[in-house]
Amino acid sequence: MLSTKFTKLSKEEVDRKWWEIGDFFRRNSLWMLMYCTGCCAIELPPAMTSAYDMERLGMGPMATPRQADVLLVTGYLSLKTLRRLIYTYEQMSEPKYVVGIGSCTINGGIYHDSHAVINQLNRYVPVDVYVAGCMPNTEAVMNGFVDLMGLIKTKKANGWKDYHARNEWYMANQKAALGEVKVHDEFHE
Amino acid sequence: MTNSMSNVKMVSEIIENSYKVLKKEVISQYQVSFEVNKDDVHSILTLLKTSGWIQLSYLSAIDWPEENEFELVYIVFNWDKAVHIQIRTRLNRENPVMNSILPIFPGCKYYERETHEFFGIKFPGNPGHEKQLILEEWDDIPPLRKDFDPRAYSDRKFVKREYSNDFVNLNGEKSKQIAREERKEKIIKVRKGGRK
Repeated sequence: MLSTKFTKLSKEEVDRKWWEIGDFFRRNSLWMLMYCTGCCAIELPPAMTSAYDMERLGMGPMATPRQADVLLVTGYLSLKTLRRLIYTYEQMSEPKYVVGIGSCTINGGIYHDSHAVINQLNRYVPVDVYVAGCMPNTEAVMNGFVDLMGLIKTKKANGWKDYHARNEWYMANQKAALGEVKVHDEFHE
Repeated sequence: MTNSMSNVKMVSEIIENSYKVLKKEVISQYQVSFEVNKDDVHSILTLLKTSGWIQLSYLSAIDWPEENEFELVYIVFNWDKAVHIQIRTRLNRENPVMNSILPIFPGCKYYERETHEFFGIKFPGNPGHEKQLILEEWDDIPPLRKDFDPRAYSDRKFVKREYSNDFVNLNGEKSKQIAREERKEKIIKVRKGGRK
């Protein structure tokens, strides 16, 4: 006869198991919010349509940040866009992941000496996966998404936790680059 | 509709008969440029608007630091005659002020704001032209002036990513580039029958 006794799990253990279950479903149905700021966005249509068919990985586009899991930053970010990106990132519900596509998000790319374009995206928002290239081809972009799924599986996609843990550092960097993160323009006032 | 070269001629006649043109340049059969005095700009633009150049296509500035001047360029556009007209005028670089053309072309509102932001030219008559438009919270001299150094600004404001090593050859392999060049040389040598 099988024993019906079981050891009572601690709360942490139960949470961990639920997170593993959640991560399984999450990584197999990722909703992307595409913040197509730069030219690398041109790699997304072939990745999404029949040529590479992102849907077979369970990924799909989402229109609002509130319902999206992944924030794609495709290309360079000017200071004006960075301000809106931070707004968008903070609106997303957790857990949230960021994929930086193109060399502009890594080190500034060809805009490394521009007065308007930031150089490293991961100083302002935490980035989980970078896809290098100027621009990366579609296989590389798809590979980046597969990498992200692997990172979620192995619990290494912890950018959003890092954003809580080192929030002061991120805030200080944002302040140093932008002055004030709050948007002041005629549409917001 | 007449052909375009006579359009250019017609435009030249309209402007040169009534105003002093400092420099005229026919860029192509569809584009002509006039440099005029600062005080004549408004009446010339009014004249052009009544003669059919009803759309302000662009307004921007050029910085000439050696001559200590800004050059303002107004480009007007006609939907019936295929000629773009550029009206250019020079402003003093120390205190650049140009009266707004808002009553003539209301579409200049944002162009003037942009020019103010990137060059620091003031446009009295355009309410709110000093509000920020593209550069938000800008903290330096206007960035399209020639004496602004974008690289120094970028180095100061945005942290560069640091790479510890440029390149490490871990297993001591020969560079593929060198191997490729050697192969190419060999092919050329064989093709020429052993002669250099």
